[in-house]
Amino acid sequence: MTTESVTATSKTAARVAPSVLAGIGAFAAVGVYVLISSVGLGLWTSLGPGPGLFPFAMGAVLAAMSAVWLLQELRRPSETAEGVDRALVIAVVASLVVLAAVMDLLGFQLSMFLFLMYHLKLRGRRAWPSSLVTALAGSVGAFYAFNYGLNVALPVSAFPLLNTIGL
Amino acid sequence: MDTLNELMGGFAAAMTWQNLLFAFLGCLLGTIIGVLPGIGPVAGVALLIPLTLNLDATGAIIMLCAIFYGTAYGGTITSVLLNTPGEAASAITTIDGYAMTKLGKAGAALTIAAVGSFVGGTVATLGLVMAAKPLGELGLLVGPPEFFALMVVGISLLVALAGKSMVKAVISGALGLLIAMVGIDPVAGAPRFTFGMDRLLDGVSFVAVIVGVFGLSELLSYRKGTTTPNVHAPNLRSLLPTGREWRRSAPAMARGTGIGFGLGLIPGMTGSVSSLLAYGAEKKFSRHRNELGKGAIEGVAGPETANNSHANAALIPLFTLGIPASPTIAVLMGAFLQQGLTPGPTLFTEHSEIAWAIIASLFIGNLLLLVLNVPLVGLWTSILRVPTTILTALILLFMVIGAYTINFSVFDVFVMIGFGLLGLALRHLDIPLAPMVLTLVLGPLMERSLRESLEISQGDFGIFTSRPISAVLIGLGLLIIFSPLLKLRKPKALNEDPET
Repeated sequence: MTTESVTATSKTAARVAPSVLAGIGAFAAVGVYVLISSVGLGLWTSLGPGPGLFPFAMGAVLAAMSAVWLLQELRRPSETAEGVDRALVIAVVASLVVLAAVMDLLGFQLSMFLFLMYHLKLRGRRAWPSSLVTALAGSVGAFYAFNYGLNVALPVSAFPLLNTIGL
Repeated sequence: MDTLNELMGGFAAAMTWQNLLFAFLGCLLGTIIGVLPGIGPVAGVALLIPLTLNLDATGAIIMLCAIFYGTAYGGTITSVLLNTPGEAASAITTIDGYAMTKLGKAGAALTIAAVGSFVGGTVATLGLVMAAKPLGELGLLVGPPEFFALMVVGISLLVALAGKSMVKAVISGALGLLIAMVGIDPVAGAPRFTFGMDRLLDGVSFVAVIVGVFGLSELLSYRKGTTTPNVHAPNLRSLLPTGREWRRSAPAMARGTGIGFGLGLIPGMTGSVSSLLAYGAEKKFSRHRNELGKGAIEGVAGPETANNSHANAALIPLFTLGIPASPTIAVLMGAFLQQGLTPGPTLFTEHSEIAWAIIASLFIGNLLLLVLNVPLVGLWTSILRVPTTILTALILLFMVIGAYTINFSVFDVFVMIGFGLLGLALRHLDIPLAPMVLTLVLGPLMERSLRESLEISQGDFGIFTSRPISAVLIGLGLLIIFSPLLKLRKPKALNEDPET
């Protein structure tokens, strides 16, 4: 290998998008982790294939494919996809996490009402009447429709006070 | 004769008012999902599984099947009126469908598409009726090695067709298999990849994963600037195609039915492959091929027929062999399992009435969609006028309910959020999601058949090559996987397959 080709590779290497590199790294790490832990599960028992055999094969595939992908990227970096709307991702994910965290405490109706109001009124900037109607239908309405119409029970509040008023 | 009797029994079971209502609701919801561009059939069916949890098995599956083929009808509407496909398999219809809208012939395009869908769907269902018994009996003879080999072929085909990079498709497939591994190992009973969490002993909830990876990640990848589209429903009088349009559509529908049916039978083929090839067939064989692209009715009739013929034919491998042919069918299979039904040859021996009731409901559902779809086009377009913020909020609501109700646990909502972020990352890295869904469902079945095979042969991998059927299938799978090395190029049009 000549020095020229070495610099050429490092130049292209610099052009591989960081998010792609991070992705490849993550897949490779998962692959290696699976490889190691599946050995611990037992690849082969006296009865035949053990619980670790199939995951072992998948871990190997994952690790190998990450390596091939890295080589492909080094040779010809792929165009990076358009970025995501970070504000949207954070708002949706954070609101979902909060919702899931408080749903058992506040009950489905109250927590979902607040969740919907956040998305309709605060983020969506819809008018009050349409926000309120939609949020009520989606929380209280959905609760009764699922409980009585479909026989699917959604959670009620863990607080006795809220519970007695039907939330 | 036997088959006919059983089918009649199926009709009797499907015609109860509850089951008709479920079929109707499924068609309605399916069409809505098809119309909404943000949410495709995979996430749509997964999202609505919780609705059916407490229904009896027949009603639940009837409703989910109706949702499944309802999306195929609904996807057409936005393709024709707005130039945006509501679901991937209708993407090719936009070319001539939207051109017809600009010529003021939207009504005719929609009617022909609905009739074509009905023809394709009904013929394919007839095929299912004929094939069910013989193929089911054949399926009972299939041993673990053949079963394993068949799944290998299906997965490798999907991997080969998915996206631009096979490496990425394989990564997607391997991830799906690994997610399916989480929980108690079915043979030895050892917990795998549970990270000490008791919640994970039963594995991660399939519905939560699918809703996260397909539904939530789609919402998260929205970008600003998407405004509410301005659509006009065609008036009722313009819905009737002219005699000339009927005559021109008939051969296109015939070709579409054949293409969709044939490809629908092959595990790993998606509906978009069928509609793309049907369009290609029109380009080659139609007498009006020079008009294609400028609003030719054949360009709507062919792909739309193929798409529905495919969707219904794809149920054949599911019902007879227990193998899902496409991602959406894989989700449907997840619903079967959730209801305690194992799709496959034993379905006809153990739950014969349920199986035939479902088949009968396919005929009913296709008819319902034909009747509902076109006259109600005004209603469907009005859904598109609902502001995005409200739609997003309501879809999020359904996702949360869907994930929660699977096990009545908030844990699954967190699982859904986590997989939503994973899905977003995969989309960003341009990794196709379709192989993952298929392996997610097939993973446990594949592993079981692999281990059973190796137990039969006492650990000798030669069992896969010494049995003729499995040897041929494994060879086929390897050929597909190594096709890039052998310079066997897939048709260029398939690179654009949006379903993967």
